Amino acid sequence: MDYIMQGFGEAFQLLLSLDKEIYGIILLTLYVTIMSTCIAAIIAVPLGILIGLKNFRFKRTLIRLLYTFMSMPPVIAGLFVFLVLSRRGPLGQLELLFTPTAMIIAQVFLVTPIIMGITYNSTREKGQKIRQLAYTMGANRIQSLSLLLFELRADILAAVVSGFGRAISEVGAVMLVGGNIKGHTRVMTTSIAMLQSMGDYSQAIAIGVVLLALSFAINSILYHGQRVI
Amino acid sequence: MNINMHNIIKKYENKTVLNIDELEIKKGLVTGIIGPNGSGKSTLMRILAGLDNDFTGTLHIDEQEVNPEISKHMTLVFQKPYLINTDVYHNIAYPLKIRGKSKSEINSKVQQVIELLQLESIQHQNANTLSGGELQKAAMARAIVFEPKLLLLDEPTANIDPQTMLLMENAISYINQSCSTTVVLVTHNIGQLQRMCREAVFMREGRVEKQGALRDVLSNIKGTYIGEFLEPEL
Repeated sequence: MDYIMQGFGEAFQLLLSLDKEIYGIILLTLYVTIMSTCIAAIIAVPLGILIGLKNFRFKRTLIRLLYTFMSMPPVIAGLFVFLVLSRRGPLGQLELLFTPTAMIIAQVFLVTPIIMGITYNSTREKGQKIRQLAYTMGANRIQSLSLLLFELRADILAAVVSGFGRAISEVGAVMLVGGNIKGHTRVMTTSIAMLQSMGDYSQAIAIGVVLLALSFAINSILYHGQRVI
Repeated sequence: MNINMHNIIKKYENKTVLNIDELEIKKGLVTGIIGPNGSGKSTLMRILAGLDNDFTGTLHIDEQEVNPEISKHMTLVFQKPYLINTDVYHNIAYPLKIRGKSKSEINSKVQQVIELLQLESIQHQNANTLSGGELQKAAMARAIVFEPKLLLLDEPTANIDPQTMLLMENAISYINQSCSTTVVLVTHNIGQLQRMCREAVFMREGRVEKQGALRDVLSNIKGTYIGEFLEPEL
Protein backbone atom coordinates (compact mmCIF):
# COMPACT_ATOMS: atom_id res chain seq x y z
CA MET A 1 0.00 0.00 0.00
CA ASP A 2 2.87 2.37 0.89
CA TYR A 3 4.41 2.22 -2.52
CA ILE A 4 1.08 3.17 -4.09
CA MET A 5 0.76 6.26 -1.85
CA GLN A 6 4.42 7.05 -2.50
CA GLY A 7 3.68 6.67 -6.19
CA PHE A 8 0.88 9.26 -5.96
CA GLY A 9 3.17 11.67 -4.11
CA GLU A 10 5.91 11.29 -6.69
CA ALA A 11 3.33 11.62 -9.44
CA PHE A 12 2.27 15.10 -8.29
CA GLN A 13 5.90 16.16 -7.85
CA LEU A 14 6.60 14.99 -11.40
CA LEU A 15 3.68 16.96 -12.76
CA LEU A 16 4.64 20.09 -10.88
CA SER A 17 8.24 19.82 -12.07
CA LEU A 18 6.99 20.49 -15.64
CA ASP A 19 8.94 17.53 -16.96
CA LYS A 20 9.37 18.04 -20.72
CA GLU A 21 9.04 14.36 -21.55
CA ILE A 22 5.81 13.94 -19.56
CA TYR A 23 4.21 16.99 -21.18
CA GLY A 24 5.37 15.80 -24.62
CA ILE A 25 3.60 12.50 -24.01
CA ILE A 26 0.44 14.29 -22.84
CA LEU A 27 0.37 16.57 -25.88
CA LEU A 28 0.95 13.69 -28.31
CA THR A 29 -1.83 11.70 -26.63
CA LEU A 30 -4.24 14.60 -27.01
CA TYR A 31 -3.19 15.19 -30.62
CA VAL A 32 -3.64 11.54 -31.65
CA THR A 33 -6.91 11.10 -29.73
CA ILE A 34 -8.58 14.33 -30.86
CA MET A 35 -7.49 13.91 -34.49
CA SER A 36 -8.67 10.30 -34.68
CA THR A 37 -12.01 11.09 -32.98
CA CYS A 38 -12.64 14.04 -35.33
CA ILE A 39 -11.77 12.04 -38.48
CA ALA A 40 -13.86 9.10 -37.29
CA ALA A 41 -16.82 11.41 -36.53
CA ILE A 42 -16.64 12.99 -39.99
CA ILE A 43 -16.79 9.52 -41.56
CA ALA A 44 -19.15 7.80 -39.13
CA VAL A 45 -21.91 10.34 -38.45
CA PRO A 46 -23.12 10.75 -42.08
CA LEU A 47 -22.79 7.00 -42.72
CA GLY A 48 -24.63 6.12 -39.49
CA ILE A 49 -27.47 8.47 -40.44
CA LEU A 50 -27.59 7.09 -43.99
CA ILE A 51 -27.73 3.46 -42.83
CA GLY A 52 -30.37 4.38 -40.25
CA LEU A 53 -32.63 6.03 -42.81
CA LYS A 54 -32.22 3.97 -45.96
CA ASN A 55 -33.27 0.43 -46.72
CA PHE A 56 -31.03 -1.50 -49.08
CA ARG A 57 -29.92 -5.03 -49.86
CA PHE A 58 -27.58 -6.63 -47.34
CA LYS A 59 -28.40 -3.98 -44.74
CA ARG A 60 -28.79 -6.61 -42.03
CA THR A 61 -25.41 -8.13 -42.88
CA LEU A 62 -23.85 -4.69 -42.80
CA ILE A 63 -25.36 -4.00 -39.35
CA ARG A 64 -24.01 -7.31 -38.03
CA LEU A 65 -20.56 -6.43 -39.35
CA LEU A 66 -20.86 -2.96 -37.81
CA TYR A 67 -21.69 -4.42 -34.39
CA THR A 68 -18.78 -6.85 -34.74
CA PHE A 69 -16.39 -4.01 -35.54
CA MET A 70 -17.73 -2.02 -32.56
CA SER A 71 -16.24 -4.64 -30.27
CA MET A 72 -13.16 -5.34 -32.39
CA PRO A 73 -10.10 -6.09 -30.22
CA PRO A 74 -7.62 -3.20 -30.63
CA VAL A 75 -4.71 -5.50 -31.38
CA ILE A 76 -6.54 -6.79 -34.45
CA ALA A 77 -7.06 -3.24 -35.74
CA GLY A 78 -3.41 -2.54 -34.91
CA LEU A 79 -2.23 -5.67 -36.67
CA PHE A 80 -4.29 -4.84 -39.77
CA VAL A 81 -2.96 -1.28 -39.98
CA PHE A 82 0.55 -2.57 -39.25
CA LEU A 83 0.38 -5.04 -42.15
CA VAL A 84 -1.03 -2.44 -44.54
CA LEU A 85 1.60 0.18 -43.60
CA SER A 86 4.57 -2.16 -43.21
CA ARG A 87 7.37 -2.00 -45.78
CA ARG A 88 5.95 -4.99 -47.70
CA GLY A 89 2.31 -3.87 -47.30
CA PRO A 90 0.21 -2.09 -49.95
CA LEU A 91 0.88 1.34 -48.43
CA GLY A 92 4.45 0.60 -47.34
CA GLN A 93 5.97 3.21 -49.66
CA LEU A 94 4.27 5.97 -47.63
CA GLU A 95 6.59 5.12 -44.71
CA LEU A 96 3.93 5.86 -42.12
CA LEU A 97 4.65 2.97 -39.77
CA PHE A 98 5.87 4.04 -36.32
CA THR A 99 4.60 7.59 -36.81
CA PRO A 100 1.75 9.45 -35.06
CA THR A 101 -0.13 9.30 -38.39
CA ALA A 102 -0.14 5.48 -38.24
CA MET A 103 -1.47 5.70 -34.68
CA ILE A 104 -4.27 8.02 -35.83
CA ILE A 105 -5.15 5.62 -38.67
CA ALA A 106 -5.35 2.68 -36.25
CA GLN A 107 -7.55 4.62 -33.85
CA VAL A 108 -9.83 5.78 -36.67
CA PHE A 109 -10.35 2.07 -37.46
CA LEU A 110 -11.36 1.46 -33.87
CA VAL A 111 -13.45 4.55 -33.23
CA THR A 112 -15.40 4.82 -36.52
CA PRO A 113 -17.60 1.72 -35.92
CA ILE A 114 -18.45 2.92 -32.40
CA ILE A 115 -19.62 6.36 -33.53
CA MET A 116 -21.34 4.88 -36.59
CA GLY A 117 -23.15 2.21 -34.55
CA ILE A 118 -24.48 4.64 -31.95
CA THR A 119 -25.51 7.17 -34.62
CA TYR A 120 -27.20 4.40 -36.62
CA ASN A 121 -29.22 3.27 -33.59
CA SER A 122 -30.40 6.79 -32.75
CA THR A 123 -31.33 7.47 -36.37
CA ARG A 124 -33.22 4.18 -36.63
CA GLU A 125 -35.16 5.08 -33.51
CA LYS A 126 -36.04 8.70 -34.27
CA GLY A 127 -35.05 9.37 -37.89
CA GLN A 128 -38.28 8.34 -39.58
CA LYS A 129 -40.42 10.44 -37.24
CA ILE A 130 -38.19 13.48 -37.74
CA ARG A 131 -38.23 13.09 -41.52
CA GLN A 132 -42.01 12.71 -41.53
CA LEU A 133 -42.37 15.82 -39.42
CA ALA A 134 -40.09 17.78 -41.75
CA TYR A 135 -42.04 16.55 -44.79
CA THR A 136 -45.44 17.37 -43.31
CA MET A 137 -44.18 20.84 -42.39
CA GLY A 138 -43.13 21.45 -46.00
CA ALA A 139 -39.37 21.35 -45.42
CA ASN A 140 -37.05 20.79 -48.37
CA ARG A 141 -34.24 18.21 -48.33
CA ILE A 142 -31.65 20.51 -46.75
CA GLN A 143 -34.10 21.76 -44.13
CA SER A 144 -35.11 18.16 -43.41
CA LEU A 145 -31.47 17.12 -42.98
CA SER A 146 -30.69 20.07 -40.73
CA LEU A 147 -33.74 19.25 -38.56
CA LEU A 148 -32.52 15.66 -38.34
CA LEU A 149 -29.05 16.77 -37.23
CA PHE A 150 -30.57 19.22 -34.74
CA GLU A 151 -32.77 16.51 -33.22
CA LEU A 152 -29.97 13.95 -33.09
CA ARG A 153 -27.41 16.40 -31.71
CA ALA A 154 -27.31 14.93 -28.19
CA ASP A 155 -27.10 11.37 -29.53
CA ILE A 156 -24.29 12.31 -31.93
CA LEU A 157 -22.40 14.00 -29.11
CA ALA A 158 -22.85 10.87 -26.96
CA ALA A 159 -21.46 8.79 -29.83
CA VAL A 160 -18.44 11.09 -30.16
CA VAL A 161 -17.85 10.97 -26.38
CA SER A 162 -17.88 7.15 -26.52
CA GLY A 163 -15.46 7.22 -29.45
CA PHE A 164 -13.18 9.61 -27.62
CA GLY A 165 -13.24 7.35 -24.57
CA ARG A 166 -12.20 4.39 -26.67
CA ALA A 167 -9.41 6.37 -28.37
CA ILE A 168 -7.86 7.88 -25.25
CA SER A 169 -7.82 4.56 -23.38
CA GLU A 170 -6.48 2.48 -26.25
CA VAL A 171 -3.09 0.82 -25.92
CA GLY A 172 -2.79 -2.33 -28.08
CA ALA A 173 -3.20 -0.84 -31.55
CA VAL A 174 -1.06 2.27 -30.97
CA MET A 175 1.67 0.11 -29.45
CA LEU A 176 1.75 -2.08 -32.58
CA VAL A 177 1.74 0.69 -35.19
CA GLY A 178 3.46 3.42 -33.16
CA GLY A 179 6.16 1.32 -31.53
CA ASN A 180 6.17 3.41 -28.32
CA ILE A 181 9.25 5.33 -29.50
CA LYS A 182 10.47 7.87 -26.92
CA GLY A 183 9.79 11.45 -27.97
CA HIS A 184 8.12 10.35 -31.17
CA THR A 185 5.20 7.93 -30.75
CA ARG A 186 5.05 7.41 -27.01
CA VAL A 187 1.58 8.18 -25.65
CA MET A 188 0.20 7.94 -22.14
CA THR A 189 -1.25 4.43 -22.34
CA THR A 190 1.87 2.92 -23.94
CA SER A 191 4.02 4.75 -21.37
CA ILE A 192 2.02 3.29 -18.48
CA ALA A 193 2.33 -0.23 -19.93
CA MET A 194 6.09 0.21 -20.41
CA LEU A 195 6.73 1.84 -16.99
CA GLN A 196 4.74 -0.89 -15.24
CA SER A 197 6.84 -3.58 -16.91
CA MET A 198 9.98 -1.69 -15.81
CA GLY A 199 8.69 -1.43 -12.21
CA ASP A 200 8.70 2.40 -12.32
CA TYR A 201 5.34 2.78 -10.58
CA SER A 202 5.60 6.46 -9.62
CA GLN A 203 5.88 7.60 -13.26
CA ALA A 204 3.20 5.10 -14.28
CA ILE A 205 0.86 6.47 -11.58
CA ALA A 206 1.72 10.07 -12.55
CA ILE A 207 0.77 9.48 -16.16
CA GLY A 208 -2.27 7.44 -15.07
CA VAL A 209 -3.48 10.33 -12.88
CA VAL A 210 -3.05 12.79 -15.74
CA LEU A 211 -4.82 10.42 -18.15
CA LEU A 212 -7.77 10.11 -15.79
CA ALA A 213 -7.88 13.86 -15.14
CA LEU A 214 -7.75 14.64 -18.87
CA SER A 215 -10.43 12.11 -19.63
CA PHE A 216 -12.59 13.50 -16.82
CA ALA A 217 -12.10 17.11 -17.99
CA ILE A 218 -12.90 16.41 -21.64
CA ASN A 219 -15.87 14.20 -20.81
CA SER A 220 -17.16 16.87 -18.41
CA ILE A 221 -17.03 19.46 -21.18
CA LEU A 222 -18.81 17.13 -23.61
CA TYR A 223 -21.37 16.08 -21.00
CA HIS A 224 -22.06 19.73 -20.20
CA GLY A 225 -22.45 20.37 -23.94
CA GLN A 226 -24.90 17.47 -24.20
CA ARG A 227 -27.05 18.89 -21.42
CA VAL A 228 -26.96 22.45 -22.76
CA ILE A 229 -27.91 21.56 -26.33
CA MET B 1 -57.86 21.93 -51.97
CA ASN B 2 -60.02 19.45 -53.84
CA ILE B 3 -58.97 15.80 -53.57
CA ASN B 4 -59.89 13.04 -56.02
CA MET B 5 -58.86 9.39 -55.68
CA HIS B 6 -59.50 6.68 -58.25
CA ASN B 7 -58.82 2.97 -57.99
CA ILE B 8 -56.38 3.33 -55.12
CA ILE B 9 -54.94 0.01 -54.00
CA LYS B 10 -52.40 -0.20 -51.21
CA LYS B 11 -50.90 -3.50 -50.14
CA TYR B 12 -48.66 -4.48 -47.23
CA GLU B 13 -46.78 -7.54 -48.40
CA ASN B 14 -49.69 -9.49 -49.97
CA LYS B 15 -52.52 -8.05 -47.90
CA THR B 16 -54.68 -5.32 -49.41
CA VAL B 17 -55.16 -2.64 -46.76
CA LEU B 18 -56.75 0.01 -48.93
CA ASN B 19 -59.00 -0.47 -51.95
CA ILE B 20 -60.78 2.74 -52.89
CA ASP B 21 -62.67 2.92 -56.19
CA GLU B 22 -63.68 6.53 -55.91
CA LEU B 23 -63.28 9.18 -53.23
CA GLU B 24 -63.78 12.92 -53.39
CA ILE B 25 -62.90 15.39 -50.64
CA LYS B 26 -64.50 18.76 -51.33
CA LYS B 27 -62.54 21.99 -51.17
CA GLY B 28 -63.01 24.23 -48.16
CA LEU B 29 -65.09 21.76 -46.15
CA VAL B 30 -64.41 19.67 -43.05
CA THR B 31 -64.73 16.00 -44.00
CA GLY B 32 -64.85 13.37 -41.29
CA ILE B 33 -63.41 9.90 -41.81
CA ILE B 34 -64.96 7.25 -39.59
CA GLY B 35 -64.77 3.51 -39.38
CA PRO B 36 -63.56 0.69 -37.15
CA ASN B 37 -59.92 0.11 -36.26
CA GLY B 38 -57.94 -1.37 -39.13
CA SER B 39 -60.31 0.01 -41.77
CA GLY B 40 -57.50 1.93 -43.50
CA LYS B 41 -58.15 5.44 -42.19
CA SER B 42 -54.55 6.15 -41.15
CA THR B 43 -53.18 4.56 -44.33
CA LEU B 44 -55.47 6.85 -46.32
CA MET B 45 -54.16 9.87 -44.38
CA ARG B 46 -50.54 8.89 -45.01
CA ILE B 47 -51.23 8.56 -48.72
CA LEU B 48 -53.01 11.93 -48.82
CA ALA B 49 -50.09 13.54 -46.96
CA GLY B 50 -47.61 12.13 -49.47
CA LEU B 51 -45.85 10.05 -46.82
CA ASP B 52 -46.69 6.78 -48.60
CA ASN B 53 -46.26 6.64 -52.35
CA ASP B 54 -46.23 2.86 -52.64
CA PHE B 55 -49.75 2.42 -54.05
CA THR B 56 -51.49 2.04 -57.39
CA GLY B 57 -54.23 4.29 -58.75
CA THR B 58 -54.50 8.02 -59.13
CA LEU B 59 -54.52 10.72 -56.49
CA HIS B 60 -55.13 14.26 -57.61
CA ILE B 61 -55.03 17.30 -55.38
CA ASP B 62 -56.41 20.38 -57.14
CA GLU B 63 -56.19 18.35 -60.36
CA GLN B 64 -52.46 17.77 -59.96
CA GLU B 65 -50.50 14.79 -58.75
CA VAL B 66 -48.95 15.26 -55.29
CA ASN B 67 -45.68 17.12 -55.74
CA PRO B 68 -43.31 19.04 -53.44
CA GLU B 69 -44.97 22.34 -54.32
CA ILE B 70 -48.44 21.07 -53.29
CA SER B 71 -46.95 19.42 -50.18
CA LYS B 72 -45.83 22.83 -48.93
CA HIS B 73 -49.48 23.85 -48.60
CA MET B 74 -50.65 20.88 -46.59
CA THR B 75 -49.85 19.18 -43.32
CA LEU B 76 -50.76 16.18 -41.20
CA VAL B 77 -51.20 16.03 -37.44
CA PHE B 78 -50.73 12.55 -36.00
CA GLN B 79 -52.45 11.08 -32.97
CA LYS B 80 -49.02 10.94 -31.34
CA PRO B 81 -47.27 13.97 -32.80
CA TYR B 82 -43.50 14.46 -32.76
CA LEU B 83 -42.38 17.76 -31.32
CA ILE B 84 -38.90 19.17 -31.84
CA ASN B 85 -36.64 19.09 -28.78
CA THR B 86 -36.98 22.81 -28.11
CA ASP B 87 -39.60 25.03 -26.50
CA VAL B 88 -43.24 25.23 -27.61
CA TYR B 89 -42.78 28.69 -29.18
CA HIS B 90 -39.99 27.51 -31.49
CA ASN B 91 -41.93 24.36 -32.37
CA ILE B 92 -44.84 26.48 -33.53
CA ALA B 93 -42.51 28.89 -35.33
CA TYR B 94 -40.77 26.09 -37.26
CA PRO B 95 -43.00 25.97 -40.39
CA LEU B 96 -42.84 29.76 -40.70
CA LYS B 97 -39.07 29.79 -40.22
CA ILE B 98 -38.48 27.27 -43.02
CA ARG B 99 -40.69 29.39 -45.27
CA GLY B 100 -38.34 32.31 -44.73
CA LYS B 101 -40.82 34.58 -42.94
CA SER B 102 -39.53 37.65 -41.12
CA LYS B 103 -39.03 37.59 -37.35
CA SER B 104 -41.86 40.05 -36.74
CA GLU B 105 -44.29 38.09 -38.92
CA ILE B 106 -43.28 34.84 -37.20
CA ASN B 107 -43.82 36.40 -33.78
CA SER B 108 -47.19 37.87 -34.64
CA LYS B 109 -48.56 34.63 -36.17
CA VAL B 110 -47.15 32.42 -33.42
CA GLN B 111 -48.69 34.64 -30.73
CA GLN B 112 -52.02 34.51 -32.55
CA VAL B 113 -52.21 30.70 -32.47
CA ILE B 114 -50.77 30.55 -28.95
CA GLU B 115 -53.70 32.72 -27.86
CA LEU B 116 -56.18 30.68 -29.90
CA LEU B 117 -55.09 27.42 -28.28
CA GLN B 118 -54.35 28.95 -24.86
CA LEU B 119 -50.69 27.97 -24.83
CA GLU B 120 -49.42 31.19 -23.20
CA SER B 121 -48.31 29.58 -19.95
CA ILE B 122 -46.28 26.82 -21.63
CA GLN B 123 -44.86 28.65 -24.65
CA HIS B 124 -41.35 28.70 -23.17
CA GLN B 125 -41.52 25.16 -21.84
CA ASN B 126 -39.55 22.39 -23.55
CA ALA B 127 -41.78 20.17 -25.67
CA ASN B 128 -40.43 17.06 -23.94
CA THR B 129 -42.01 18.14 -20.66
CA LEU B 130 -45.57 18.55 -21.98
CA SER B 131 -48.60 16.46 -21.04
CA GLY B 132 -50.54 14.57 -23.73
CA GLY B 133 -53.15 17.30 -24.15
CA GLU B 134 -50.55 20.10 -24.25
CA LEU B 135 -48.57 18.14 -26.83
CA GLN B 136 -51.64 17.81 -29.06
CA LYS B 137 -52.45 21.52 -28.71
CA ALA B 138 -48.86 22.50 -29.58
CA ALA B 139 -48.91 20.18 -32.62
CA MET B 140 -52.22 21.68 -33.74
CA ALA B 141 -50.85 25.20 -33.30
CA ARG B 142 -47.79 24.29 -35.37
CA ALA B 143 -50.01 22.82 -38.08
CA ILE B 144 -52.31 25.83 -38.47
CA VAL B 145 -49.78 28.64 -37.98
CA PHE B 146 -48.75 28.64 -41.65
CA GLU B 147 -52.39 28.58 -42.82
CA PRO B 148 -52.26 25.37 -44.86
CA LYS B 149 -54.73 24.83 -47.69
CA LEU B 150 -55.18 21.21 -46.63
CA LEU B 151 -55.15 20.09 -43.00
CA LEU B 152 -55.10 16.34 -42.37
CA LEU B 153 -55.89 15.32 -38.79
CA ASP B 154 -55.47 11.70 -37.71
CA GLU B 155 -57.40 11.45 -34.44
CA PRO B 156 -55.92 14.66 -33.03
CA THR B 157 -58.24 14.71 -30.03
CA ALA B 158 -57.98 11.09 -28.96
CA ASN B 159 -57.35 10.65 -25.22
CA ILE B 160 -57.67 14.33 -24.30
CA ASP B 161 -60.07 16.04 -21.90
CA PRO B 162 -63.35 17.55 -23.17
CA GLN B 163 -62.22 21.16 -22.58
CA THR B 164 -59.03 20.71 -24.59
CA MET B 165 -61.01 18.90 -27.27
CA LEU B 166 -63.38 21.88 -27.66
CA LEU B 167 -60.40 24.22 -27.84
CA MET B 168 -58.91 22.08 -30.62
CA GLU B 169 -62.23 21.98 -32.43
CA ASN B 170 -62.43 25.79 -32.25
CA ALA B 171 -58.97 26.00 -33.78
CA ILE B 172 -59.99 23.64 -36.60
CA SER B 173 -63.15 25.67 -37.29
CA TYR B 174 -61.15 28.89 -37.17
CA ILE B 175 -58.61 27.77 -39.78
CA ASN B 176 -61.37 26.26 -41.93
CA GLN B 177 -63.42 29.44 -41.93
CA SER B 178 -60.73 32.13 -41.94
CA CYS B 179 -58.42 30.53 -44.54
CA SER B 180 -60.88 28.26 -46.39
CA THR B 181 -58.66 25.35 -45.40
CA THR B 182 -59.90 21.93 -46.47
CA VAL B 183 -59.88 19.71 -43.39
CA VAL B 184 -59.88 15.91 -43.32
CA LEU B 185 -60.54 14.66 -39.80
CA VAL B 186 -60.22 11.04 -38.71
CA THR B 187 -62.27 10.55 -35.57
CA HIS B 188 -63.97 7.90 -33.48
CA ASN B 189 -66.02 10.54 -31.70
CA ILE B 190 -69.45 10.79 -33.33
CA GLY B 191 -70.29 13.92 -31.34
CA GLN B 192 -67.22 15.58 -32.79
CA LEU B 193 -68.13 14.37 -36.25
CA GLN B 194 -71.56 15.95 -35.93
CA ARG B 195 -70.18 19.21 -34.52
CA MET B 196 -67.37 19.62 -37.02
CA CYS B 197 -68.10 17.94 -40.33
CA ARG B 198 -70.35 18.73 -43.29
CA GLU B 199 -69.14 15.71 -45.24
CA ALA B 200 -68.30 12.20 -44.05
CA VAL B 201 -66.67 9.04 -45.31
CA PHE B 202 -67.32 5.70 -43.65
CA MET B 203 -64.56 3.16 -44.18
CA ARG B 204 -64.60 -0.59 -43.63
CA GLU B 205 -61.87 -3.13 -44.40
CA GLY B 206 -59.97 -0.69 -46.60
CA ARG B 207 -63.00 0.28 -48.67
CA VAL B 208 -65.25 3.33 -48.71
CA GLU B 209 -68.58 1.99 -47.47
CA LYS B 210 -70.45 5.29 -47.77
CA GLN B 211 -69.54 8.90 -48.52
CA GLY B 212 -71.34 12.20 -48.94
CA ALA B 213 -73.01 14.85 -46.82
CA LEU B 214 -72.92 13.88 -43.14
CA ARG B 215 -76.72 13.75 -42.81
CA ASP B 216 -76.89 11.39 -45.82
CA VAL B 217 -74.13 9.14 -44.44
CA LEU B 218 -75.95 8.92 -41.10
CA SER B 219 -79.43 8.41 -42.58
CA ASN B 220 -81.11 5.09 -43.29
CA ILE B 221 -78.43 3.16 -41.42
CA LYS B 222 -80.73 1.03 -39.30
CA GLY B 223 -79.94 -2.61 -39.85
CA THR B 224 -76.74 -1.81 -41.78
CA TYR B 225 -73.14 -2.28 -40.66
CA ILE B 226 -72.78 1.49 -40.19
CA GLY B 227 -75.84 1.49 -37.97
CA GLU B 228 -74.45 -1.32 -35.84
CA PHE B 229 -71.08 0.40 -35.60
CA LEU B 230 -72.49 3.80 -34.65
CA GLU B 231 -75.36 2.58 -32.47
CA PRO B 232 -73.54 2.85 -29.10
CA GLU B 233 -72.62 6.48 -29.90
CA LEU B 234 -75.88 7.72 -31.43
